[in-house]
Amino acid sequence: MGLLNPAFWTFVAVIAGIYAIMALGLYVQFSLAGLPNFGHVAFMAVASYTMAILIVRYGVPLPLAGAAGIGASIILALIMGVPALRLRADYLAIATVAGGEIIRYLALNLPDLTGGPIGSIGLLGPGDIATYNQEWQAFLDMLGRLAAPIFGRMPSRDLVMALLIWGLAIVLIWLGWLLERSPWGRVLEAIREDETAAVAVGKNIVAFKMQALILGAILAGMAGLLLAWEIGVFSPDDYQPTLTFYAYLILILGGMNRIWAIPVGSILFSLMYTGTRFLNFYPLSLFDSGSRAFLRLFLVGLLLVLFMAFKPEGLLGDRRRLLLEK
Amino acid sequence: MSVLLEVRDLHKSFGGVAAVAGATFDVAEGSITALIGPNGAGKTTAFNLVTGFLAPDRGTVTFADRRIERWRGDAVARAGLVRAFQTARVLTRMSVIDNMLLAGKDQPGEVLGAAWFVPRRVARREAELRRQARELLDLVRLSPLADAMAGTLSGGQRKLLELGRALMVEPRMILLDEPMAGVAPVLAEQLVEHILRLRAERGLTLLIIEHDMDMIMSVSDRVIVMDEGRVIAEGSPNEVQQSERVIEAYLGRLSPDGLGT
Repeated sequence: MGLLNPAFWTFVAVIAGIYAIMALGLYVQFSLAGLPNFGHVAFMAVASYTMAILIVRYGVPLPLAGAAGIGASIILALIMGVPALRLRADYLAIATVAGGEIIRYLALNLPDLTGGPIGSIGLLGPGDIATYNQEWQAFLDMLGRLAAPIFGRMPSRDLVMALLIWGLAIVLIWLGWLLERSPWGRVLEAIREDETAAVAVGKNIVAFKMQALILGAILAGMAGLLLAWEIGVFSPDDYQPTLTFYAYLILILGGMNRIWAIPVGSILFSLMYTGTRFLNFYPLSLFDSGSRAFLRLFLVGLLLVLFMAFKPEGLLGDRRRLLLEK
Repeated sequence: MSVLLEVRDLHKSFGGVAAVAGATFDVAEGSITALIGPNGAGKTTAFNLVTGFLAPDRGTVTFADRRIERWRGDAVARAGLVRAFQTARVLTRMSVIDNMLLAGKDQPGEVLGAAWFVPRRVARREAELRRQARELLDLVRLSPLADAMAGTLSGGQRKLLELGRALMVEPRMILLDEPMAGVAPVLAEQLVEHILRLRAERGLTLLIIEHDMDMIMSVSDRVIVMDEGRVIAEGSPNEVQQSERVIEAYLGRLSPDGLGT
């Protein structure tokens, strides 16, 4: 695929939109409530697996299976949150790192339930190729036919998906913005700044933190479902811990405490991430394409370090707030 | 006067060290009661136990006829027993007015999603709370700083803000932990004035930990003296000042803190 291929850029736009929703979930947990969630990817994984298993094995209609997937994310948030939220933030960080990896290892090692290492394709057992997204593609085609008069031709599935996802992302961010500015957001801000002070004025901090954890899990679950529907197959390897760090990088790029910077961060991140495949000129061309793929991971790490060192408020963040001591 | 806060045989140890060892005292409704004692006497721990920030090993705390010793701190605050801290815990990265609004009671907008579904109700209550916050900021003379970040306030101003914020919870009783410590004399005078006004105008009950003897003598009706985790004396400021046991407790360890002079 070349640099000028519109289909490639449409795909990048879809992924950027999905990442924006994923990062929004982390924003609610980390930027609003101060919950260091390092297992965000687990919510995506359980939502996708639940959805795919219900569709492939039990013929559950897609909307219902999707709702069940979100339900599974909520249950996972409760399992992680009930013990960890009563303790200090560090414990939640540990619990979520562990939780994320446990989910991935379970997916790898319970082949009868999850298809094992080969992932969703193996959900019907060896020899049978399982698919779960026909209904989703039919839905996109229906939307495409409806939108055809506007475009003058039948838009591609990815274009429909890109518009749908970005529409959804913008609406979700707007809803999140309303929440952030509401008294609910004010309580979360207070909890993030000083839990003891929040307790002293009568706020049940565990309940508020749990709400933020669950809301973030729902958003991550949605992102997980959309990613699964877009790609069409997934395996445990798609839910490596790095995905969680992509979400952090998106927040850091845009500005940790600016909700409207999330689309900016996710677009920048996606450009950088997919852009590395075009780094095929000398001297980088000395490496084979497989080794060059690792460049993106170096780049992600390098950017993270540079931003934390020189621009901790992100591109659009507010530096003055960082300067006031807690 | 009826008893608002009743503490009975309260115990709390930290790794074998008994910080509070059988403290028993009452605070009458509408009174200003001072809790004094040498450093390490267990005063702040007693505060933490009464307000639900620590769970007692043993003993009971009754507030307005309800047993609260097993309640969480936030539930105690909502029941009308609100505390301030030795070092004021204002939210430095939030504005002064937001610090106040945070403590507002019955804001439906604190329910997740209310901002989406009932924005008018949220806005109406917010306007009421804002009026209330402005009045209280007037009372503690912080109105001109309403929009400043709380982190830019001086130590004394932070204490005033914390007092104002505690009042936003509409408490029946406030616990102040060394309100005078680190406060400039002018602000300190204001604080005394506020405390007396709060009792007179709002019928508030106050329990105050304080080392400043001038303040204790000028504002409090009753003084409770703690030492080694127990209450060793109780009475009017004058009675306590003349008590041999109290003088001994202070002179026996640290500086007399103005007692007996």
